[in-house]
Amino acid sequence: MTKHSHDADVAFIQALAELLRENDLTELQVKREYDEADSLDVRVSRASQVVAPVAAPAPVAVAAAAPAAAAPAAAEAPVSQDPAQLPGAVTSPMVGTAYLQPEPGSKSFVSVGDTVSEGQTVLIIEAMKTMNQIPAPHSGTVKRILVEDGAPVEFGAPLMIIE
Amino acid sequence: MSIDPWPAGYARVELQEIDSTNAEAARRVQDLTGPTWILAHRQTAGRGRRGRAWADPAGNFSATLVQRPGGPPEQVALRSFVASLALFDAFVAATGRANSFSLKWPNDVLLNGGKVAGILLESVGNSVSVSHLAIGIGVNLANTPTGPQVEARAVPPVSLLSETGSVVTPSEFLDLLAPAYARHEQRFSTYGFAPIREAWMQRAAKVGEVITARTATEEFTGTFEAVDETGNLILKTAQSRRAIAAADVFF
Repeated sequence: MTKHSHDADVAFIQALAELLRENDLTELQVKREYDEADSLDVRVSRASQVVAPVAAPAPVAVAAAAPAAAAPAAAEAPVSQDPAQLPGAVTSPMVGTAYLQPEPGSKSFVSVGDTVSEGQTVLIIEAMKTMNQIPAPHSGTVKRILVEDGAPVEFGAPLMIIE
Repeated sequence: MSIDPWPAGYARVELQEIDSTNAEAARRVQDLTGPTWILAHRQTAGRGRRGRAWADPAGNFSATLVQRPGGPPEQVALRSFVASLALFDAFVAATGRANSFSLKWPNDVLLNGGKVAGILLESVGNSVSVSHLAIGIGVNLANTPTGPQVEARAVPPVSLLSETGSVVTPSEFLDLLAPAYARHEQRFSTYGFAPIREAWMQRAAKVGEVITARTATEEFTGTFEAVDETGNLILKTAQSRRAIAAADVFF
């Protein structure tokens, strides 16, 4: 299915991370269309200290990209092995499906960098056609979003970091 | 039809027109003193799962039961099954035809294999406790919605009137549904999910047959084995046995 190589993706993302650091940028988003069924959509961000593919077609980028992005951040703070243990972690109260938007096509409840107040809905977890809105456990800034829209989540899975 | 009295402790509100009974439930929740049924004779912006429109022609039933059940969200979500059992009982009370109705995971009620009703539950809460739960229920009493809102592959919509000839007004239907819900809720809060699950499985369609469950990202086809003790749909696929917490089911 994937015609371009995994190594090429890694090199491309490393180059983006380099560009980000050299130009003192906080975020870079690039979409590459290889052909109709094969594209790479990457967002490299320093503030959130993660590199995540925005769209599903190129999951190969996730594992490959993480070390590249972690490198520039390493000096600022040690990267926790388990985001669920971070003090600002919002974890899933149930097994289900995570939704970042109230409904498909609408604006996300929150984005990285947003200020949220305690009790504000930050995402939805669905199980058995019950849409459970997850309130922010405390006020703060959304530092990281750890799940993709529509992703299955387990009980206790870290969903978001709000600090 | 036999009619049980209105259940003690449940309030009843009837509105001529509202955007959505679930939206109205969220607006009223702060002022509630107990579980409350909100019936609207017309919904101008009825909603289904994930933003799908719920068509609501005149004469059909739209109501929401809003309550503060307490308890963690995975427990609260099991009321999906409680509500569908109550709806099943209300239909049987209205028509006397138990054999015409069946249930589709997690909470659809089918009439002669067609979709006669839909339930959408909305709650707000963290891992400790849910602050409120709105159970929105739409029933095609008199009219069958037609047109582009019916998704390809979905169970075809039907109405109670067209399939059974039964003429039931929304108010009369609530008179049947509210006591049925209170009965199943009482059983759920006293004995837990086990008896609810057993009753649900007895009324389920396609047990032991091949069905398809579509999640937000994947699709699984396999034999519908059961609903497990936490409400998951258990599908035996060619590769494995899967427990599915959230999906649309297709026959």
